[in-house]
Amino acid sequence: MSSMRRHPLSLVLAFALAPLGLAACAGTEPVDGGLSGASQWAAARALWHIDRDPAAYRAWIEIDPATPEGREAHRLLAEAEPHYRRGIERVRGGDPEARESFERAVRIAPMDPVLYLPLARAFRDQGRADTDNPHLFIRAAEYYRKFIALVPHDPRTEEARAELAEIDPEGSRLFAPPGEVGEAASQPLPAPQEVATWPLWVAVAALALAVAAIGLLLWRSRERLESLDSLAERKPELHPAIHYLVSSLRHELLKHRIGAVGSAVDALREGRASEAQIEFLRGRLYGGEPLTDAWHGHLAAFRRALGPELDLHRADKHFRAGGRAIEAIAKLEKRLAAGDARAFEKLSTAHATLRELDKRLGQLAQRLVRTSVDGALFRDVVDAVRGEYAAGAVQLDEVVIRSPEPAPFVEVFRVDLVLVLKNVVRNAILAVASEEPPRRIGLDVDTHVELTGEETVRIHVRDTCPQELTTEDIYARRMSRGLGLVTAALSRYDGAIQVEPADGEWAKSVVVRFFRAYDEE
Amino acid sequence: MYDAVVPRLLVIEDGNEYEEFATLFLADRFEVVAVHSAAEALEAAPGTDAMLIDLRFERARDEDLLGDAGEAAARLFAGDLERARRWLKEQQGTLILGALREAGHDQPAVFVHDFPPRRLANLARLYGRVGAVPTFDAAAIVRTLESLA
Repeated sequence: MSSMRRHPLSLVLAFALAPLGLAACAGTEPVDGGLSGASQWAAARALWHIDRDPAAYRAWIEIDPATPEGREAHRLLAEAEPHYRRGIERVRGGDPEARESFERAVRIAPMDPVLYLPLARAFRDQGRADTDNPHLFIRAAEYYRKFIALVPHDPRTEEARAELAEIDPEGSRLFAPPGEVGEAASQPLPAPQEVATWPLWVAVAALALAVAAIGLLLWRSRERLESLDSLAERKPELHPAIHYLVSSLRHELLKHRIGAVGSAVDALREGRASEAQIEFLRGRLYGGEPLTDAWHGHLAAFRRALGPELDLHRADKHFRAGGRAIEAIAKLEKRLAAGDARAFEKLSTAHATLRELDKRLGQLAQRLVRTSVDGALFRDVVDAVRGEYAAGAVQLDEVVIRSPEPAPFVEVFRVDLVLVLKNVVRNAILAVASEEPPRRIGLDVDTHVELTGEETVRIHVRDTCPQELTTEDIYARRMSRGLGLVTAALSRYDGAIQVEPADGEWAKSVVVRFFRAYDEE
Repeated sequence: MYDAVVPRLLVIEDGNEYEEFATLFLADRFEVVAVHSAAEALEAAPGTDAMLIDLRFERARDEDLLGDAGEAAARLFAGDLERARRWLKEQQGTLILGALREAGHDQPAVFVHDFPPRRLANLARLYGRVGAVPTFDAAAIVRTLESLA
């Protein structure tokens, strides 16, 4: 769990999981049964996607599954659940990136409140393993309370109360079952029910505020001395620059100068290096630009692009270790030339440190620019476009969204992918507006293997407008239809857009294509 | 493949870094044969036992490249011919391997590249015995070639 301290997991997750716990826990009345299916579904979606009420699950599950809205609600709940469960497993495993699973799930549908119990237990177990991190127990207690409040009649509620009492004896009294409250009321104390509740709630609220304030202070103090991972987390708009800088450092220094001498370093340490191999090592490590100059040159490039306050050597322990390894290698030149065996060992250790840095940077670079092309993305796009004045006024008969499981990832920042798809979807909706019903649009995705072993992800935006549209039209119209931004984004991400002809169910399909990003799970 | 007196390793790259590396660290296991284009590779492939292939051919001349830049530009790069040519260079090693396989040369092939597992699996599905090592590591290259033999 030391990695949890490096990444303040409890705080990070607090933001990621906030939607699971912002609203009151006392439960929400079911959506008015008098509403039509569509209105009921709209209200239920608003309860989650706008209010982030954890009790929204009940509103979703109660929509009649025999109706189209109910089928959609139940399908989305089923789609979200594995992501919530995966998130819980990741918390249980101490994964500092567990929030990714929750963020993905939250975009799809609310969490089944029964999952608060395993989530609480996962935090509790982590808290036991990492006794230096009290936030883990605070989180655990919070989720135990939510479980007890939202599903009070679950057979495991008693167990949950007992487990909560173990980690938070004071707070657990608030969640004692009604019988125990009754027993307490029978004691000869003055007006027990009235004095027992509101002051305690105020105390709990004050405690929560105090914890949040301390957390915020800790978070802000880290902000001043942040690692590259933390900066990337906080400023998504810097992802392209960070990605470029990291890739340059890896390619120019860590691969071609450090990585290239791995076999020679092993041979030296094991006493079997030939003269030619030693010369090769000397050329890569000590020929040309001195290693320390190259290293500091890359760090200076980070500062120029990301801000002068970014002192990676001071603030990022992995860069600090890398810098020390570079300095160590630079100082070893004469001792290596003299055949000093201890120098060979030192070189081997420094080399391993830099290989580890390279590995970490590779993982960071991959993480920065990946977006899941899934149903949640498509729904976000359609909802955003339908929220616009012109596209929102079009009477659509059906929006068909299909996505495979697992969803493919693309190396496109999400904000840019949404921009591209919004433009294409907006054009599809406005195109069908001028036609007779039924007016339908559809979004789906498939993948294609290229001869290079790479895969392309093909996002189809389909519509029922019979008016002809060609790929050339899209480029010709780009200035007048907002597609200039689309083509610019496509160019930036090695993407393409093409119109494909009718396939029976649809009049045409505009296909947006990007290369698939791997290592998604 | 290692029954021959000295197995022959076909090194395919656009520069000479792989050849230099192979000569220094693999010469005790292989006779190194270096080529620098698809045409040379197809000519030299008969009689070799394994291949060590560079993925990126950034220094190659456009006329030596395999692949249709026009088709790639239209389908993958929004009509950007320059970008398509660059892509062909960046991925040239896999296209050369495809041409060698099509010509019937099925020797084990190794790239020095940290391919994601899924992409390596795609390459294996397309081209049979293909492996990769993430960095210049002689022992890992030999191990990988042996595992593919």
